[in-house]
Amino acid sequence: MAAAAGEEQEMLAQRLKAAVHYTVGCLCEEVEEDKDVQFSKQIVAAISDIAFRQCEIFAKDLEMFARHAKRTTVTAEDVKLLARRSNSLLKYITQKSEELASSNMEQKEKKKKKSSTSKRERTPEEQEASVTENEDSNMA
Amino acid sequence: MLKRVMQSQPPVSPLAPRISYHENIQEVHSEVPSKRASSMGELQLPDVAPEDIPITVFHMKKKRKKLSISEFARAAERRLPQYQAQSTLDSTIMTRSLRMSLGSLLAPDTVEKRGLMRRRKIHKAVDMQEFEGRVEQNMLKSKGQNYLVDSQSASGIRTSILTSDAEMMMNSTELFVQSQLDEQNQNKSSTLEPQLSDSKTSAQRSLISDADQEKTRLEGLVSSVSTNERRTQRSSKSSNLDREHVERMTDVSPETPAKQQEEKQDHSHQSNPMAEISFSEEEMVCNKMYDRIAAGHGASAGYSERLEKKLSEKAELQITAARDSRVETEMAPSAGEELAEGSVGAHGSPGAEREITRGIGAESLGRHSHAFSSCHKPEVIPFNETDEQEDELQDQAIMLEFNSSVEESAEDKTERSASQEVSMKTPAFVRAPASNLLVSTPRVAEPDAPSFPQRSALQQLQPKTVPMRSGTSQRKPREPQVPRSLIREIFRHFAKMPMTRDAFKVVEKCSEKYFKQLSNDLETYAHHAGRKTVEAADLEVLMRRQGLVTDRMPLNVLIERYLPLEYRKLLIPIAVSGNKVIPRK
Repeated sequence: MAAAAGEEQEMLAQRLKAAVHYTVGCLCEEVEEDKDVQFSKQIVAAISDIAFRQCEIFAKDLEMFARHAKRTTVTAEDVKLLARRSNSLLKYITQKSEELASSNMEQKEKKKKKSSTSKRERTPEEQEASVTENEDSNMA
Repeated sequence: MLKRVMQSQPPVSPLAPRISYHENIQEVHSEVPSKRASSMGELQLPDVAPEDIPITVFHMKKKRKKLSISEFARAAERRLPQYQAQSTLDSTIMTRSLRMSLGSLLAPDTVEKRGLMRRRKIHKAVDMQEFEGRVEQNMLKSKGQNYLVDSQSASGIRTSILTSDAEMMMNSTELFVQSQLDEQNQNKSSTLEPQLSDSKTSAQRSLISDADQEKTRLEGLVSSVSTNERRTQRSSKSSNLDREHVERMTDVSPETPAKQQEEKQDHSHQSNPMAEISFSEEEMVCNKMYDRIAAGHGASAGYSERLEKKLSEKAELQITAARDSRVETEMAPSAGEELAEGSVGAHGSPGAEREITRGIGAESLGRHSHAFSSCHKPEVIPFNETDEQEDELQDQAIMLEFNSSVEESAEDKTERSASQEVSMKTPAFVRAPASNLLVSTPRVAEPDAPSFPQRSALQQLQPKTVPMRSGTSQRKPREPQVPRSLIREIFRHFAKMPMTRDAFKVVEKCSEKYFKQLSNDLETYAHHAGRKTVEAADLEVLMRRQGLVTDRMPLNVLIERYLPLEYRKLLIPIAVSGNKVIPRK
């Protein structure tokens, strides 16, 4: 049983690695066209291997961060903490998260409006809920 | 076969215990169901080395019986003089217990014997250290002047046995130092740090004890600080405790030039027998702290003068100079007097401190309380804090004080984990005004089991001292830096060769950046957890990120491996609790 589970894990890992390798290959092709450089196969394989291992490390770190904040869910805050090491990456991620939060807000506002037009009875409650949700999303 | 062996046991029973003792030591016999059988095998070992081993493992064979008896007699005669001291008993348990108790004594003997193999020394490094640590603790518990000799001898024995020389040496010397310190503390009721207890320091302290209580305390601190400084200068290792002490002292105690002198003198005194225990960083920090504290107390100006003469190392001078400046900015004018008053007004602190001085942490706490008392006479808070600290015997209380500067805690932790070469504390209180020091001093000692309520309380104290110091400060606030001498010394020690100036500049920049980043990270982690103070958990997260703490390597193992025994006691209370766990307040 344990051996079978281990083998399954292995299979899963292999498939994941293959997926990562494929994605890395696609990205490298794009960069090749963009910068007019060549990527050898070993390089692509090395990058994909590194990416896979780094993902493992990231996952563990994220879990640790979430636990450090006494939470059981990994949130965007944890991701930002993780990306803090590289400034540019941090800026990028913060921007994206803000965009995401704002888009979420917009969506909720739209929903609010729709619901208000359709059912006015519930608008005050929804407004409160949407407001709190917005606040939560901002905080997250 | 075995039955026959057992039956044949009685005739050789008187000597069996000894033999079994030997046998136990042998690695071959990891499992000896019947002691006597194994003992017989063991006897044979010296005589018939290669063949006996398998026999002993399997507990004797029929053939060997007759031989073994004669051999046994011969071997027994040989070994009798060795084990005369032992009280041999028939029971295997007795011999085993004997072995445990006398293992240290007999280990050297057994090594000499051919074919006698030691029991696997270290199943894992931690075991031996724990054992040693616990033995030391036991010894510490039964303190008394009589114990000095025992501890010394025991420590000596231990050092011979210990595998990791450096640490073991440290442990052994620590033990001795502690006992000495305790003795002195008891005698003088002064808070002295056990770590630094060299014979010299004790001598110094004896000198100091003549002075006022405060002076003695101060000097004790100073000497400990200076010893720490010396240590750092000599070796890269520094004592965490010292650092803690120093930190406390620096933050709280006003600095006076006299202190510097004292520190310098202390440094000069403590030259050689310093046991290098912890990281140089910590030492440096401690030294700085001590300098400041010493300055703050400024009790023994006379002593300081004497000490100055003995000072030889530049670094110390630099540090003390820096501290002097700080001292001046701080409660310079009334430092000495205030200290005196504060110490006197330290209500139960002297008595409490004495009690505390028993343990290393106690001493540091006492000093801490000292500093507090000296600095904030009328304030009751410090006393309460010190009381708490005393109870808890946590040097980390100091850490609490200085939580404001995450860097330090990060530094301490990271430095420990990282290469010790870079072990430097950015907040070198060189010419930093008291306010800056208060803000940025936090030198986190071991980031474990800190008493957090104390931290907040300590932080409250900081703003109170700030206005006082700013009033008297005459220098521009400058970012604290790790003293260059410290960096150079540490690097030199680990590189085993001197450094050029260019290289030194680069190293200095690197270390500064490293510490800044470290403190930044720690602050972020604390903020991430919704806290305002850096805690042990934050440091653990940092170490995990650094790759020092992994799923395979827990924090406690690192602590046991790299930190001196006293810190281990503080940080891993379970390991030394002896099944007595006192809940934290």
